[in-house]
Amino acid sequence: MAELAIGIDLGTSNSCVAIARAGGVEVLPNAYGESITASVVAFAEGGAITVGNAARANVIHDPHNTVSSSKRLIGRYFFSEEVKKARAICAYEIVEGPNHGVRIQVRGQQYSLPEISALILREMKQVAEAKLGQPVTKAVITVPAYFNDNQRQATKDAARIAGLEVLRMLNEPTAAALAYGFGKGLTQRVAIYDLGGGTFDISVLEIGKDVFEVLSTCGDTFLGGDDFDDRLIDQLADEFVAKQGINLRSDPYALEKLKVAAESAKRGLSLDDEVEIRIPDVVVGPDGKGRSLERRLTIQEYSSLVMDLIMRTFKVCDEALQQANLTTRDLAGVILVGGPTRLPLIRHAVRDYFQQEPKSDVNPDEVVALGAAIHASSLVQNSQDAYLLDVTSLSLRVGVAGGLAETVIDRNTPVPIEQTRLFTTFQDNQESVKIRVYQGESRQAAENELLGQFEFAGFRKARRGDVKIAVTFEIDSDGIVQVTARDPESGQTASTRITLSSGLSEEDLQKILAKNPVDNVVTATTPTPVQPASSRPGAAAAAVAAAAAARSSSASAAPSVAAAATATVSTAATAAAASSVVQPPRVAPTPPVAAPARVARPAPPPAPAPAPVAAAAPAIAPAEDEIEVLDEGDATLDLEIGGELPSDLSADLSSELPEELPDLPMLEPGDAEAAGGEAVLDDGPPLELDREELGGAPTAEGLDRSELEITGGYTAIPGAPAPRGDGLEVDDLGGAADEPVPLESADELFDRHRSADLSPHAASDVAVDLDVDVDLER
Amino acid sequence: MAAADPGSLDEIRALARIIDELDYYALLGVERKAQSHAVRLAYHAASRRFHPDAHRQFGEEARAAAERISKRVAEAYSVLRDPRRRILYDERLEKGGDANVRMPLVEANAEAGRRAAEDRGGKTPNGKRYFALAQADLARGDLVSATRNVFTALTFEPDNAFFKERLSELKATKK
Repeated sequence: MAELAIGIDLGTSNSCVAIARAGGVEVLPNAYGESITASVVAFAEGGAITVGNAARANVIHDPHNTVSSSKRLIGRYFFSEEVKKARAICAYEIVEGPNHGVRIQVRGQQYSLPEISALILREMKQVAEAKLGQPVTKAVITVPAYFNDNQRQATKDAARIAGLEVLRMLNEPTAAALAYGFGKGLTQRVAIYDLGGGTFDISVLEIGKDVFEVLSTCGDTFLGGDDFDDRLIDQLADEFVAKQGINLRSDPYALEKLKVAAESAKRGLSLDDEVEIRIPDVVVGPDGKGRSLERRLTIQEYSSLVMDLIMRTFKVCDEALQQANLTTRDLAGVILVGGPTRLPLIRHAVRDYFQQEPKSDVNPDEVVALGAAIHASSLVQNSQDAYLLDVTSLSLRVGVAGGLAETVIDRNTPVPIEQTRLFTTFQDNQESVKIRVYQGESRQAAENELLGQFEFAGFRKARRGDVKIAVTFEIDSDGIVQVTARDPESGQTASTRITLSSGLSEEDLQKILAKNPVDNVVTATTPTPVQPASSRPGAAAAAVAAAAAARSSSASAAPSVAAAATATVSTAATAAAASSVVQPPRVAPTPPVAAPARVARPAPPPAPAPAPVAAAAPAIAPAEDEIEVLDEGDATLDLEIGGELPSDLSADLSSELPEELPDLPMLEPGDAEAAGGEAVLDDGPPLELDREELGGAPTAEGLDRSELEITGGYTAIPGAPAPRGDGLEVDDLGGAADEPVPLESADELFDRHRSADLSPHAASDVAVDLDVDVDLER
Repeated sequence: MAAADPGSLDEIRALARIIDELDYYALLGVERKAQSHAVRLAYHAASRRFHPDAHRQFGEEARAAAERISKRVAEAYSVLRDPRRRILYDERLEKGGDANVRMPLVEANAEAGRRAAEDRGGKTPNGKRYFALAQADLARGDLVSATRNVFTALTFEPDNAFFKERLSELKATKK
């Protein structure tokens, strides 16, 4: 049997798997005939794990044990903005793991994010195997172009846990371009506008014959369809407080219902100008009676809620075009990728921005998986029909004295690439240097993502500046970073692999592989018998919305009669328990591309074991201990806070986020000294302003306290205003030993920036874009 | 589908051996005065020949060699595709010596930035004058006159990359 390799689009909200064979390239639908599978994992009592749309249906009944949008957390630090946000809106428990990583705690067990993603990947693998009738072990997996190394590594780990060999990690927009242009013999420049559930990417490519060259790529990993939903959730919750005096955000069940309603409304609005949001008994009032939420929502209202988010994507587009030295006129096509781009609101905005109609012959949900499949097939068959020339989306930097991070490889440099820079010791008789590697666009080390750090020792002791250390930075075709330090005198090479600060160690991975949690997964290869409707939680209350839901679900293609029946039943339950978006009656002429509202999709029957009976009661009449009204947004505050942040960091953050302060664990006094007086941010220039302007990049610097060791001369003077402790200075290559980094003076920067105002092209290499203003506070 | 033409194993081994002696032009196989379009096509061709994925079947050693070449090809392209970096690299090559066949990207960038700052505004009295006139034209929205003045400024400073960029921008805007 021919060896087959699949392409998997592992999305924030939905995942999709495809295969390219002699007969062409196609999406492999799951057992229910659905081409996309929800990236949701439900943990039932008794250990059964469900993945996919069945799990998604579960989220309303059992929000604490149903994990969705986990991609937003993968490869992040616990203290990052994204994780904070997730903790405020996710009902499942997010706790801190070793090395400031993130763990998800469900049913008393902790899972790392790669483990969660592995469950989804395993599901996609099984979908493919069921359809292909043979085992599949190789895959191309896509990631957002703007994913940093931590996130890529974590995704790679996930694949390994899922038993997949990753042939290549492909950037999502690049995959989309491949699917769009493959075999068409096109020669044109295109832009890929990829707005997913959690991330936004824009890539500009030049397609020529058999080459797909990425000219530039930019993105925002804090912006996606989920944010659109959050806006509506906030609006609905605010209105509900004003009207009923009850805060829905503090009730995880109500919040999940709101989430489902917001998403359905979004989908409804891609078909109609107006939808009705109706959530019967969304919450129980103090009098013990259920309160409902009902509201009509027009496209204009929705537009005003999210327009600034859409405009934010165009700022990123500006940047990408500028980096490619192009204007919208130079583009022959715009390709839309990702579910949210179905919204007419977005399509129109994109059309206005790019001054052309986006391509309509591309299915935004499937195009990425199709591209991945095409690439997978060419890799496994060694038939190089198309060459992908990609770039790195983030600048790679190394920490140097003074809290700065020097660029080594600029963003939008073609990959694979390797660059070597010479560094020198910072103090006399220094014995070791700590090499910190960052990704990001700020000269301030702390504003970039810390990828990892390692120590290099064993060079000869000498006066400061006398010892040279050559550090080589590599980015491979997967976008994965590797760093090597070498002593040119002795030829000795350092332990090279970056130890990820928040990721899983090899040891962790082995442990996970050994216990193999994925064995519990209930596979949905064949639809299981329908449970009686009465046993479904919330079914009693189903009457109201059932009719509407059933109508649209029967309209969508169901794989078989049995499954169709299932659909009606479980949809009714789902819709009633949660919410439904009732569209006006004139919904009939549904465009074929648009998926039916998710709520009304044929939800697979519940898996045998994980009947969410336990959650039934809370869904309607929440038990007291489950839903206690906490302060706004703190639904998950019952977390334990482990680990410690340096006090100066929390102080720094507090000036910006005062209300978050209680969330931030404080450093015990004395720790700073214990760390050899290695101050973290105290010597930093005014960070608040920059951080705000640069979109609040998580402050990763120096948090790896646990691993910090006192080494080398530079730490020998405790209390001294030790510069950064990186112990590294950039040596001007081949030049005078002590000459500092090729620094741009502030004047020069300003000067260049000013010229950027005059003409965008002059700014192509301005590293710090002072104009970016990203609002994370929301 | 255009048939791929991966380099032979011998070619890759040989190239990997001498790669540190090759300058970027030799590596990509283009002439020193090649146009930017030719550089791009050469980059595509070289990427095709030495793409590590195209040499998977030859085993780890070939793959590693191909990877090594691919990285250098990407580096060469990064320098040569940018007119300002390319000028600097050419100057470097003039100096001669094996150490100068490579140019660290960061260095190229910083130096190109410095040059750009020098170029801005102009280096000769007449260049300065006409560029200032062009800016005044632009402020009034007179693209035609602005284009003419930048063009004139360029006749005094034919090497001014900044002026060149402005000119091509103005031309693009007029289109």
